[in-house]
Amino acid sequence: MLSIAARRRWRRHAAGYAFAGPALVILAAFLLYPIGYSVWLSFHEWDGYTSRWGPFVGLENYRALAGDEVFWRATLNSIVFVVVRTPLEVGLGFLLALLLNRRLVARSLLRTLFFVPVVMSLIVVTIIFQRVFEPNTGLLNTFLRAVGLGAWAHPWLGDPATALSAVIAVSVWKNVGFSLVILLAGLQGLPQDVVEAARVDGANAWQLTLRVITPLMRPILALTALLSIIGGLKVFDLVFIMTRGGPTYSTEVLATLLYREAFELNHMGIASAVAVILVALVLSIARVQTFVLDESREGGKA
Amino acid sequence: MSKAKGRRQTHRDGEHGMPRRKLLQLGVLSTVAAPLLLRAGRGAAQTGGAQPTAPTKTPTGELKNPAEFKGPKFKASGPTTISFWQYVGFHVDAQKFIAEEYRKRHDPNLSLEITAFPGLNEQRVGVKSALAAQSPTPDIIAIEPGAYAVDVSTSGSVLDFTKVFAEDPEYKRGFWPNALELLTINGAVVSVPAVTNTVIVYYNRGLFQQHGLEVPNTLDDLKKIGAALNAKGIMPIAYPAGQDRNFPIFPYYTYLGGIKADKLMREADLGLKPWTSPELVAGAEFVEMMAKSGLYAKGPLGIKEQDAIQIFATGKSAMFWGGQWMRRSIRAALAPTFDLAIFPFPAVAPGGHKPVLSSVGITLTVNARSKYPELAFEMIKALTGAWGKIEYTRNLGLSPNGPISADAIAYQMQSLKDPLYPEFLKLQPTGTTRVIFTPAVEEAVTQGMQALITGQKTPKAVMESVEAASQKVGTRKFRAG
Repeated sequence: MLSIAARRRWRRHAAGYAFAGPALVILAAFLLYPIGYSVWLSFHEWDGYTSRWGPFVGLENYRALAGDEVFWRATLNSIVFVVVRTPLEVGLGFLLALLLNRRLVARSLLRTLFFVPVVMSLIVVTIIFQRVFEPNTGLLNTFLRAVGLGAWAHPWLGDPATALSAVIAVSVWKNVGFSLVILLAGLQGLPQDVVEAARVDGANAWQLTLRVITPLMRPILALTALLSIIGGLKVFDLVFIMTRGGPTYSTEVLATLLYREAFELNHMGIASAVAVILVALVLSIARVQTFVLDESREGGKA
Repeated sequence: MSKAKGRRQTHRDGEHGMPRRKLLQLGVLSTVAAPLLLRAGRGAAQTGGAQPTAPTKTPTGELKNPAEFKGPKFKASGPTTISFWQYVGFHVDAQKFIAEEYRKRHDPNLSLEITAFPGLNEQRVGVKSALAAQSPTPDIIAIEPGAYAVDVSTSGSVLDFTKVFAEDPEYKRGFWPNALELLTINGAVVSVPAVTNTVIVYYNRGLFQQHGLEVPNTLDDLKKIGAALNAKGIMPIAYPAGQDRNFPIFPYYTYLGGIKADKLMREADLGLKPWTSPELVAGAEFVEMMAKSGLYAKGPLGIKEQDAIQIFATGKSAMFWGGQWMRRSIRAALAPTFDLAIFPFPAVAPGGHKPVLSSVGITLTVNARSKYPELAFEMIKALTGAWGKIEYTRNLGLSPNGPISADAIAYQMQSLKDPLYPEFLKLQPTGTTRVIFTPAVEEAVTQGMQALITGQKTPKAVMESVEAASQKVGTRKFRAG
């Protein structure tokens, strides 16, 4: 039997729990259950066609991945994707945000133009860029030839040495507008008194940006970087449509490997193990980033 | 803010806004309602799918489909809809047309609901989920020969056509035997082909004539033509090796077909022979030679189908290596004056035959958990039987699943009006079927061929890696053919 205090406490929180209920149900059904199920499947062998999973194999699927050259290639590609994409996306986004935060002619138009790729369908973007990168009649090589740089013309997506860079470039082009919008909103929310005080103290534009604005923007920059990192680790559609992970696995990332193992090779257990590793990676990075964000906030308070 | 103050604040909100009990009731109600709404949403989603446009009409000319549209053995006792999941959007019109005729002529109670997925990958994922959930939907499933057929067959997910063939031997005789052989897994006929295709060389006859070039008979002829075209700044062959996982393997299949080593490849695929045999390594050497020969437009792995069509259509290349299924999209890109023609790939060995790759396109099977298996079989017979196949391929310009009469071709040509269609039909029976049954082996071959085209590996190293992948699979749990 609950004490009076406990009953009061329960009544006080009941409405909150009830309101949070639907969200929790959806979260449990579409996030927690699939994650739990994937973890469970990663310890089993299953081809995905039968209603029941196959035998329990313990850590065998993880062992198989550890010995698989393609898995390490995909992991490395995912890391390269993130390490190259995030600074470019956040850095360019920040530069553009700084630029578009100033009084410029056609500022609104420019802001809209930079945001257009974000709202464009990814399928459309990939098809456009497949045409841009086409080795013989593609826009990029045609341009290079036209300006006398024909020696640089290259089968960008058909060469393992350049395919990943080409895909990253498209990803940056598609997503830089998103970083720009977040960072622009951050810039507009900065305390103007601090900025003005720095100006009065004689700080030039460079010092103002580097010593005042950037430190104040640190939490927002960290958030943008976190979103970019997570997006980069999860990237699937862009790679799948443009290169299907090829040629010769040069653009294979963890998400395309997961798909290949699950739906082309029928290794649902191994695919689940890849999914578990991917989730663990994303969660750990998110945790580190949250920690950095908290630190930034603490720094800001001080 | 102190805890006490916080508590008071919450209490006041309840008093002045909505009473706490009401809030509680609303919350509980929404918690209960959420899963119900989700379930309702799921149900609605299942009835969706890409809807086809209006069915194609019968040609108005004098000729009629000469084949008999045989009536079914089983009919629906009441209004019944059977579902069909397929993956090639442009087939829908033809399928709808036949299903509608079948309903009008033979079974007014039976309708066919077609869900056309955007592509094979999406359909396969959907089918896999449905089969794993032991769903009776879809009743009819479109599958590809090879690994897909093996998967659905060995998992017991689909029904065997053997009984249907035993009851109607004439129906069985309507298919190319080699096509049915591809679809026979562990002695069961897993599915039946709706259409067949050939992979050939399309060429710009006007351009050939302009430069005094003849259709090549041998590989050496082709190389000479390639050199002549390159000297004039024209790319010889547009080859879209970046289109999908099948394309990089085309040259390999072509060579093996050219030296009649396709049976050997099949045995290697099934783990019965090594992939490192001299013939199969020679196939890899051919792939490497072709990649280095200057015959392809630059960077074939970076070229998709539509790009290659554009290159060919604009006269930047003189030839296009691709499938019959692209005939429509190629035609659509060409100027009216473009003189399009086809030839089989030249003989790869001196004095050898000219290899044509035949492929079984979309094939149809019945879900083992279908509530209406007899009706599903009857519908498949309507789509792929004597009358249906003529209508189906008349609509699409693809080759039928078996031989058809000259009268039937004449009837089809009334509306097709494509001089290439009979040419494709002549080539089809001569082709080498191109299918790999073991997914891991197919993956290794695809990657290996990409490595050869990009010059990353030697032919021997590629075939060794394919053999390693094959050995890793171990003894196959199925036999094919």
